[in-house]
Formats: sequence, C-alpha cells, structure tokens
Amino acid sequence: MIYINGESISILLFFVGVYGLIARRNIIKSIMSISIMQVAVILYFVSANTAPGSIPPIGDIAQTLQVADPLPQALMITDIVIGIGVTAASLTMFIHLYHRFRSTNWQKIMKKRNRYD
Amino acid sequence: MINLHWVILLPIILGTVAKLISINTAKKIIALFQAALLVYVTQIFVDVRKNGTILENIGGWPDTIGITLRADLLASAMILLSCFLFLAMVIFVHNKNYADHLFFFLFLSLESLIIGIFLSNDLFNIFVLIEAATLIITILIMYKKANVAIYDGLMYFLINVVAMSFFLMGLGMLYKKIGVLDFYALETALSQVKDPQSLILPYAFMITAVSLKAALMPLFSWLPKAHGTPSAPSVVSAILSGLYVKTGIYVFLRLQIAFSPLIDTSELFMILGFVTAIAGFILALAQKDIKLLLAYSTVSQIGVIMIGINLDNPVAYWGGLYHLMNHAIFKSTLFLTAGMIISEYKTRNLNEVNGVFEHMPAVGVATILSILGIIGAPLFNGSISKYLIASGSSGTWIEYGLILINLGTIVVFIKYGQLLFGHSGKKETADSDILEKAVVLTLSILCFLGGIFGSQLIAILFNVDLTVDLRSYVIKMLLFFGSILLGLLIYRGLFKKTNRLAFINSFELGFNEMCLSITLFFAFIVIYLKIAF
Repeated sequence: MIYINGESISILLFFVGVYGLIARRNIIKSIMSISIMQVAVILYFVSANTAPGSIPPIGDIAQTLQVADPLPQALMITDIVIGIGVTAASLTMFIHLYHRFRSTNWQKIMKKRNRYD
Repeated sequence: MINLHWVILLPIILGTVAKLISINTAKKIIALFQAALLVYVTQIFVDVRKNGTILENIGGWPDTIGITLRADLLASAMILLSCFLFLAMVIFVHNKNYADHLFFFLFLSLESLIIGIFLSNDLFNIFVLIEAATLIITILIMYKKANVAIYDGLMYFLINVVAMSFFLMGLGMLYKKIGVLDFYALETALSQVKDPQSLILPYAFMITAVSLKAALMPLFSWLPKAHGTPSAPSVVSAILSGLYVKTGIYVFLRLQIAFSPLIDTSELFMILGFVTAIAGFILALAQKDIKLLLAYSTVSQIGVIMIGINLDNPVAYWGGLYHLMNHAIFKSTLFLTAGMIISEYKTRNLNEVNGVFEHMPAVGVATILSILGIIGAPLFNGSISKYLIASGSSGTWIEYGLILINLGTIVVFIKYGQLLFGHSGKKETADSDILEKAVVLTLSILCFLGGIFGSQLIAILFNVDLTVDLRSYVIKMLLFFGSILLGLLIYRGLFKKTNRLAFINSFELGFNEMCLSITLFFAFIVIYLKIAF
C-alpha cells in the first residue's frame, strides 16, 4: 500500500476539485471545489516535503535528529489564510449575486446577465 | 542607499492614512506623492542603469533564504512605467465624484501590489501578491455597482483563484524537486538538472496559470468581461488593460528564462501568440460595445507581444518588450477617452456615438493619436515596435502573419474610428474636465514621441542598440499604407452596413466551460511536453 500517501491523495483530491469545477453548475459547489483544491495543495506541500519518521518543527527540537522542512509549513500558514479570505469573499459575492438574480445556477445567471447588456 | 521595499510599502501606507484627511486635501496629497514616487523610481532606474542590478534581502537573511527584492533593468523599467501611469490616473480622477477614500485605498494598494510583482524575486511571494491583487481588482471592477457588476466580478475572481491554485500546485511540485523558490537560485539549480521529464508537471501547472493571467488563446474569455465591464471606472479599465495584464507576461517571461535550459517551449508559445492575435481581432470586430471592443483588441495586442518575446531573436525580443510599453500607453489612453465619450454620450453602443471630433475636439485628437499608435502608423510608437518584431521574424511565415494581424487591427480601428466623424446632433462643444483632457492629450502625445525617438528610448530603457534601417522601414510603411487601403475596402464591403461577425457573440463561455478550457490547456501542455522531450 505504498501508493496511499499524502502526495498521491493530494493530487487525486486536486483533480476531484477540478472535476467539481467542470461538472457542477451550482455556484456554491464551485466555491466548495475551489476549497477542495486548496486543501489538496496544502496537503501536498506539507506531506511531500516530510521524510518518514521526522517530526514537525514545533517546540523544542534540539534533541531530535530528523525535523521536517519548516519552509513549506510556513508557506502553508499563509495559504490557509488566503484560502479563508478567498472563500469568505466569494461567498459574500455569491449572496449578493443570489439576491440580484435569484438563482444558484451559472448558466441561468449568465442568461439573465446578458439581458441587462 | 536606495531601499526597494519603500516603493512597495509607501503607496499602501498612504492609501490607509489618507482616510484621516478630508478627501479634497487627500487627492492633492496623493497626486503630489505620486509625482514624488515617480522621481524616486526614476532615481532607482538611473542607479540600475549605471551600476547594475540592485538586490535587497528583506530582514537581512543571506541570499536565497529570505524574501528578496530584485530590480534589474527590465523590472525597473516596468516600475517606472507603472508609477508614470498611476500618476496619470490619479490626476485623471481628481475631479471625479466616485473617487473617495475607499477608491484611493484600493487603487494605491493595487499600485503597491503591481510594483511588488515586478520587483519580487520569489515565486511564493508572487503568488501571494497576485492573489491579493485579484481580490482588490474584483472590488474595483464592481465599483460603480451596475446591474451586471456582481456577475462579472465573481466570474473574474473565481477563474483567477482557480488558475492560482494550479500555480501553487506547480510550485509545490517544483519545491519538492528543486528545494528553492527564488528565481535566480532556481535558474542555477535548474541548469544542474539533467532530465527534463521530472519537471514537466510543475512546469505545466505553472505555465497554465501564467498563460491565463497573460490571457493566451483558449484562456482569455475572462479578460473582456473584466476589462470592459460597465461597472468599472475608466481608470480601472485603463490600468487593468494597460498595466495589470503585463504582470502576467512579466511572470511568464521570468519563468521561461528560468526553465529555458531544460524546457524550451518558445515555438509553441509563438504559435499560441499568433492564434491569440488572430482570435482577438476577429472577436473585437464582432463587438458593438466600445469598451468590449477595446478589451478584445488588448487580447490581440498581447498576441503580438507574445510573438515578439518568443521569436528567439534579440531584435524581436526587445521589439516585443517595447510593444508592451507602447501598448500600456495607447491602450490606457483609448480606455480613458472611451470612458469620457461614454459619460458624455450616455451610451456604450458604437453605432450611437457620432461626431466626437466636432463635439469633444480634445478627446477626438487624443483618440486619433492613440489609434495611429496602435495600428502602427509611420512615426508613431506602434510602428517602431511592430517593425522590430517583423524584422526579427524576417524570412519565416510569421512575417506574413504579422501583416495579417496588423490588417485585422486596422479594420478593427477603422470600425472604432467611425465614432470620431459625422455629426453628433449636439450644438455646442462638451465641457469636459480640463485635467482629464490634459492627461489624455499628454498620453497620446507620448505615442507620437515614442515613435520619433523610438530607438533612443529603447537604448535608454533596455540598454540595447537597435537601429531602424531606413530602407526596410520605408518598405514596411508602404505595406502599411497598402493595408490601410485594403482595410478600408474590407470595412466598406463587409462591415459597414451589417455586423457580419455578430453570431460569434452568441458563443459565450460560462464558468464551467472556462474551467474546462483551463484543464484542457493543462492536459495539452503536459502531452506536448511528454512528446517533445
């Protein structure tokens, strides 16, 4: 079962997100798919740069021999914050969109939008 | 000692502090600040030109560990251009009533982020800056709260976030293989790698995102909606089309330089640029909305720039970069004048606007000068850069392709130019704001000066000597006049009465289709690279 590791699962998750973006017309599901992609990226960064048996770079690590690479983890804290911001902003915009167009469907909203032009 | 980080920090700090001052004082302070920043950036540029690249490690870390800012000649020329355009825009909005505290905060933050992208030397940093810029631009293009604004904004936002997720995934894979995020450490590290196979996936992920940012052929459908939306103030459209798209091209250029020893895709991207240019002008011809026409013409010009920088020929490369600068000038003029025309005539329909020359003389002159720039008329800046790209491509099919693209651009702008002539039906000339007129006239005169002093400007900006050979330039100009005649005939014969391309507008890509095209582009790049290497 060596194939079930963080790396391959994260790539799988990433493309699950991409599938959701392509195949779902619901805007909330699109936003959820983007969140799934972001989680996949975070999982990739953290798991791909960790050697088996190493410990996270937190607390007193002076005695430990193997410590995981701290840089990806630091980067991913930034990415988690960005991810929350992106989700919050897009949900806010979605609520406004829903109030104006009364639909959650990309296709229907596009048709209604073009009527305004 | 010149500090690069202040150039990035100062606009955003001023944008925040301006909230405390009354808006009328704040506008004057911001305009003065922009002028001062321009002087400071010029100083940086002169320093880089004399003493070479400036490298600054923030936080005093050793090289390649901390965040580094790097101003080389290209980056400092780009920030010079950004500061100049932002100064022009700040003066332009001086008397507008939509320019309040929030607008200036967002606008100056956008300036900071754009300068940050140009100076940044670190891939993750660029990712963060682009994400933040995406959010700010989303708010800015919805600023006038028109009915369609929220759809355009959400669409722009989500598409760009998806693209940046691709970028970050590629970044993760690259970091796993190479272990650095710094551009120049990356360059050295990549030159040690023997097998390009292991880098295909990260490269494909990243180049997909960057191609979307630069609006290449299958991935440009988000651009016209964002740049031409009715709810965006014209300064925002001008900055987006003139400057912000260029950050995509800039990152593309940096990535290509870093990867070029291993994965050389310049031929593929030259062809993609060609297809983009053709598709751009065909779609532009189909539009009847003033701003959308200009937005699609941006797509077409980006194709020309991509051809120039991917031709593998130094003359064409510098020609492409000079065209990038020129495009920033004339496209922002066109968007600003379009905004003035729209607010005067209260319509965005190209057919309903007539007699701009008679009704708004200054705007008419500025429009005609920048149109002459974009179609590459003799003595204007577009002609120099297009000439350089064409002479770099001489002897290949792309030389004829460029003539075709220029013919398309001419037909598009003959169609656009119809709004200048005729009678507006209004008696007196419109009283536009004096500052607005001054800004558009200055920018359009720059189009002319950029043509007259073309090779000198290139020598100053990029430190390369390119001479314009008089004989071949004259031949190019004869070709240009031929294209003008042909363009007039095509316009009169095919497009004057009816819009024969209007059916194209019914093929509009929705969100899902755009995501599909991103995925297909990604798959195409992976398969192409697997076969080619």
